[in-house]
Amino acid sequence: MTEASAPPVLSAASGESIAVVNTALDRRGLERLDLLLLTVEALAINGGEVMLWATQQLGYESLFPNRVELWKRRCTNPLRRSTRRTALTGEEIEALIRVICAMADRLYPMLHQLLWSREPSALQDQRWGKFDQRLRDLIGERMNLRRGSVQRLLETESSAPVQRQMVITLALASGPGGVDRLRASLQDPTP
Amino acid sequence: MFNLSYRYDQTAARLMVEGLPDISAGHGQGVIGILSSWKLQFVGSPELEGKREHLEAMLATVLPYARYRLSGVARPFGEADSAVSLAPANNGGHQLELRSSKPGVSPLTIALDDAELADLVRCLDAMRLDPRVQIAWADQSDRPLARRELAERVPLMKRLAPSVLGGSVLLVVALLSALVPLPESKQPKQEAAPIESAESSGSAAQPVPKAE
Repeated sequence: MTEASAPPVLSAASGESIAVVNTALDRRGLERLDLLLLTVEALAINGGEVMLWATQQLGYESLFPNRVELWKRRCTNPLRRSTRRTALTGEEIEALIRVICAMADRLYPMLHQLLWSREPSALQDQRWGKFDQRLRDLIGERMNLRRGSVQRLLETESSAPVQRQMVITLALASGPGGVDRLRASLQDPTP
Repeated sequence: MFNLSYRYDQTAARLMVEGLPDISAGHGQGVIGILSSWKLQFVGSPELEGKREHLEAMLATVLPYARYRLSGVARPFGEADSAVSLAPANNGGHQLELRSSKPGVSPLTIALDDAELADLVRCLDAMRLDPRVQIAWADQSDRPLARRELAERVPLMKRLAPSVLGGSVLLVVALLSALVPLPESKQPKQEAAPIESAESSGSAAQPVPKAE
């Protein structure tokens, strides 16, 4: 490959160069992307601030210079209470995927604890209960509760498998190969 | 020449690879280009070890399994006669099965939960993407799944329910409409209409003079 045809790169604060991939997501992919960010917020204390810090660490200040801009991009989820019709660019989607993976890597010990079946079930129930409550609060605060799919996220029976799937997704998206795996998964067609 | 050894640790899994630099490929010191052996240890399980082909089989089985699991599709990977296979277990976990190439050795089965699967995937990712291990692994690029593969995660009954329901409703409506008696067709009686001559009709069309 000649130098002229090489993909453009973003320089991360860590010095690592990040290839810009032209990522496109359909409606369902955007919903999952925002739900994963919401799951990260439910897991991390002061998650919104940590997420903004992660964008700066990854070198995405130009894309998300402040929390309002980050908030606007997240509002492209059609399930949001105040949704925005402006489409995300491929660069913005790629940046959000990398932010999710970086946060998942940081939160991996907590994800591992949630998925670890060899601990006492009472302790597990307590951990999942706290996570469930925080995620419900965030969904109730930010999502359009008139939408059927949002209501299903809040129903006790249907919410538990979705929450577990979100935690497993974050666990498998952490680590060095996680970005490619998560990107491919978000680009799945709607069945 | 010293045998190189690198270790990849996670909470419940530990992978260790040993090998030598491949001088013919121009590898420098500290780079494994020829894998001589590997060991994998899960907490509370016997240690696994093998050659390069076994590790390749492990990569070719575990990473696609994780990719599908990420999309919510739980399906087995690895043929019945392959060195490694991984399948969803009935308790919601995962069953890793390893078959020895030596004859007479029964397969070893290890039950993994989601946390152990994630640990294994992270160990394998760290090893295959480690610049100190430069071995030409088979392509493991991740791609979006096909619509058909995603449909598998929905139970068959749930998938067929809309079409079965639609067909049933159509059948019931067709049967009910067949039971409804058809209205008798009443033929309109043909009355003998007076045949008017072209002249009279022509005169009728003419304006009648006003009587004064």
